[in-house]
Amino acid sequence: MIKGLLKKDIYNLSSYKTSLIIIVLFCGIAIIGTDAIYWGSIIIGIIVGMISLSTFSYDEISKSNKYILTLPVTRKEIVLEKYILAIGATILGGLLGFILTLLVGNVMNYLRPDNLIDINIETLLTTSIGGMFGISLIQSIQIPSIFKWGAEKGRIQMFIIIFFLIIIGIGIGFLIQQAGLSIDIEKLEQTLKQFNLVILIILMAIMYFISYLISYKIYKNKEE
Amino acid sequence: MNNIEIKNISKKYDGFLLDKISFNVPEGSIVGLIGENGAGKTTTIKAILNIINSNGTVKIFGKDVKQNEKEIKQEIGVVLDDSFLSAYLTPKHINSVMKDFYKNWNEDKYNKLLKQFDLPGNKLVKDFSSGMKMKLKIATAISHNPKLLILDEPTSGLDPVVRNEILDIFRKYIEEDETRSILLSTHITTDLEHISDYIIFIDNGKIILNGQTNELLENYGIIKCNKEDFSKILKEDYISYKKGKYQYEILTTNKEKIKKKYNILSIDKPSIEDIMLFYIKGER
Repeated sequence: MIKGLLKKDIYNLSSYKTSLIIIVLFCGIAIIGTDAIYWGSIIIGIIVGMISLSTFSYDEISKSNKYILTLPVTRKEIVLEKYILAIGATILGGLLGFILTLLVGNVMNYLRPDNLIDINIETLLTTSIGGMFGISLIQSIQIPSIFKWGAEKGRIQMFIIIFFLIIIGIGIGFLIQQAGLSIDIEKLEQTLKQFNLVILIILMAIMYFISYLISYKIYKNKEE
Repeated sequence: MNNIEIKNISKKYDGFLLDKISFNVPEGSIVGLIGENGAGKTTTIKAILNIINSNGTVKIFGKDVKQNEKEIKQEIGVVLDDSFLSAYLTPKHINSVMKDFYKNWNEDKYNKLLKQFDLPGNKLVKDFSSGMKMKLKIATAISHNPKLLILDEPTSGLDPVVRNEILDIFRKYIEEDETRSILLSTHITTDLEHISDYIIFIDNGKIILNGQTNELLENYGIIKCNKEDFSKILKEDYISYKKGKYQYEILTTNKEKIKKKYNILSIDKPSIEDIMLFYIKGER
């Protein structure tokens, strides 16, 4: 059943493929080849990851949700499918960003041997996973809001939620400062560097899981 | 044996109440749900399909729909007026998606139906005319040979030729297997006169009429008379009346009885639409 839903979403997205290629190429050309080459992997990753969310808009335009609920599929499977798609897109975006940046960087170096760009694989890997983390954070916030308010309204609510999260973050920082607690930033940075990829991946998994639980709770009783 | 049994279904919205609806859809029958727009037809269908939360019980194939939803839905084909899988898929895509949903999906049957309906396999659904879209929805709904079809306004917005074609499909579908049944809602009541076995009339969230189509059409009658004759007819002998410029029209549920009782020579045979209008607009 999940396979059927995934197929439906992928077929929906296939009408996107031309614009997707243009966007990726445009970003690639604009960024890759400059000193900001590592941004390429982040931006490509974010674009691919975000596109998976547009399947919600396709469902909304076609008013598919009501029909899908008449098929032999549970609400749990409907929610789960959206997360599988989102996570798949994040992984694909990260991989594409990594490979394309590496590829274009090397091609540029071949074409312009007098103006070499230094591509560090480790840094590229970190930025790619950093980009994946960013997109998974956006997805984890946006998917439940779309389930709650719909694809169009959900977008506005998402910005409100992000705004409040930033305020809360600043508030916590302020309180820590007020309480006189000092954070050893250097130590924190060191730890992050040592484990950063593992920590980021674990954090992503936790974010997706919590987000899934919230989405399911919302959709369980939603009426179409 | 009933394919659908619903008991005391209630659902409250702002300004609307679906009020303790109960009815059955027997095997081998086509049941028509009629009523004005906003009367509660779609809400009833949504409650049957468990798309909305409602009070009361819904049994399909003798099983509670809330507890056996996935299993039951394998055996149901659904057409909704305003909703389908996606407007951005082609009929070929739909085949590939649907075979993952239904164990009994019959690809050959689906392709044959596409051919029969003249539907192109590689065109996006959004570019189809409304008649083509409806035919595709119906082909999709019957290609896993479901025991039960639930159709919400399957003929609305279609021209008479396409409507007849579609009604033919339903007729054949029932004839193929007598354990099958169809529940269809419509506000185009003439369609039902041709194909339905039972008619359920919902008005303002309540069932006000539930009976066999033949009996309704045979027994109900419209008496046309002047004011003087009208005043002689007792209130208990009619459902409602309409006052025209020159005459009164009266709807009765038992035309033979009335004919004898008041010595009336001619009584018109009403259409389902006439009956519906008398119930909604008539005076008591």
